[in-house]
Amino acid sequence: MYITHLSLTNFRNYGRLELPLPQGVTLLHGNNAQGKTNLLEAIYYLATSRSPHTNSDIQLLNWDAAQADEPLVVGRLVAQLAAQTGEHQVEMRLIREKGRNGRSGRNNRSGRNGRSEYSFRRQALVDQRKVRLMDLLGNMRVVLFLPEDVQLITGPPNGRRRYMDVTLCQIDPIYCRTLSNYNKVLEQRNALLRQLAEGIGSMDVLPVFTEKLAALGSRIFARRATFLQNLAREAQRIHYEALTQGQETIRLAYLPRLEGNGNGRSTTTSNMEPSENWIQTHQADEKGIAKRFAQSLAETQPTDLRRGATSVGPHRDDWLMTINGRDLGSYGSRGQQRSAILALKLAEINWMETITGEKPILLLDEVVAELDENRRALLLAYVQKSTQAFLTATDPGMFTAEFLEKATSMLVENGRVYPDHQHKL
Amino acid sequence: MTTNALPQPVNRLITEFARLPGIGPKSAARLTFYLLRGGDEQALDLAQALQDLKERTQFCSVCFNITEEDPCQICADDGRNPNLLCVVEEPLDLLAIERSRAFNGRYHVLHGAISPVEGIGPEDLKITELIERVKNGHFTEIILATNPTLEGESTALYLTRRLKEFDVKLTGLARGLSVGGDLEYTDEITLGRALEGRREM
Repeated sequence: MYITHLSLTNFRNYGRLELPLPQGVTLLHGNNAQGKTNLLEAIYYLATSRSPHTNSDIQLLNWDAAQADEPLVVGRLVAQLAAQTGEHQVEMRLIREKGRNGRSGRNNRSGRNGRSEYSFRRQALVDQRKVRLMDLLGNMRVVLFLPEDVQLITGPPNGRRRYMDVTLCQIDPIYCRTLSNYNKVLEQRNALLRQLAEGIGSMDVLPVFTEKLAALGSRIFARRATFLQNLAREAQRIHYEALTQGQETIRLAYLPRLEGNGNGRSTTTSNMEPSENWIQTHQADEKGIAKRFAQSLAETQPTDLRRGATSVGPHRDDWLMTINGRDLGSYGSRGQQRSAILALKLAEINWMETITGEKPILLLDEVVAELDENRRALLLAYVQKSTQAFLTATDPGMFTAEFLEKATSMLVENGRVYPDHQHKL
Repeated sequence: MTTNALPQPVNRLITEFARLPGIGPKSAARLTFYLLRGGDEQALDLAQALQDLKERTQFCSVCFNITEEDPCQICADDGRNPNLLCVVEEPLDLLAIERSRAFNGRYHVLHGAISPVEGIGPEDLKITELIERVKNGHFTEIILATNPTLEGESTALYLTRRLKEFDVKLTGLARGLSVGGDLEYTDEITLGRALEGRREM
């Protein structure tokens, strides 16, 4: 799969961009703050409906356009795709309207971060037909490499959950729908728990939301367990064979929050198998997972009623990488963490190709400079094998002449993109 | 759109129109000036219609549908099956089912669905009234025709729990393909539900 044309309107520092794109490797070079990262962000956003750099999507609108006191400001991202299934067009519109309070529904994210007199909404289109936001996902699949990827290992669990969700949603529309429904049920259940903690609300409604939470949550547990197991196997192989020449073994363990105490590592019932081992053998057994999850929800109900929040469930999941048996986040060196995360990302490419039969589009934002020779060679080998890849670099001199010869170079300068052919002479 | 350049009664109507769903300040001004330029009769008819809307309608004391007379036409109709009850969220849902002409029983309108996020609990809906009605009635089947949304389904689940003590069959509407639709363009979840609910032919 590859993008044949990208069109941006009022997105970040692009007022207007019409850019035909080739297959193979494209190198985006230019000074800092010219718009290289924004191009990758636009492609990533069309694939995932999320930005890797901000949670406030209203910030994605072009600054100059957003400054204008217009009643209506529209940002538009459009990609033409050539895929196995034929040619497709995916489009996202970012719409900021003035003085229309309460019309944009629950998805209005501008209230917290944006200026309150504006409402903000998004509209997704596939082949020029309006679709639900979640139906945009899966039309275009990408794997993104960022220098800060290593924070997946060292950072807080919500980053690791987001990684699972974004990756799985690109492949599995049912997962995406289930996750969205789970979050809605969770929101309802937590609202009810808060009301009950204050002595209002009906206690006999709680079992209804608990039952729904258990049914939806068990599907998320099951799919995450299968996903991480497949990814772990591939990452381990790449890491062992290609990155450390058989010196080191990484493992990736899913830590489902099926039980109340600790990080899913201990159980409330002492004779029960720890949930991270148990889930591996039960990932196909949704009913069994639902039963165990429902039991935990029953056990934690008194705590939940006190806290006004749900303490177990996939919304508290985590996963962990170990190297030679030790926690990579706490004990791994920076170099070991980089290798592990690289192995994970490369595994993600192979996993997507196995599932869909198509290579995903690769997006690499200034990551090449960070890597030593061995890791760089491996990553660039994957890049050269890909159907389409975009790399940003302030200095194209770090690439070998041979690599540059096969790549298309483009200069990004002040919100404009100039294809140059100097390396193709 | 309201300014000092306009007389207060004009401003007031613009403001009132703009409060309605789907109408912005520009449409509100256009409607106001349309009425201003039109004949007296048209404006007064509209005023009368608005007044009647509130004064001459009420909830049916049996099914809580909106009605001019109590009990409503459907509840008063002896030709309808008294053993069959259909529970809906809103009067408009009742209207939709009536249009299908496929149902000849009685209705019960809940006036909403359970949604703790919006502060709506069972006590805010006509659920106590429903239980009373089932207790005193002779229903053999109750169709829980709430919307296929999270809130609607949760409400149906809640009603199932509350109603299972009675000797009555509880059913829900089938979920699945729309008639005249295309299998190819049906989303995964709907298709999954349709397969689950398949039936022998």
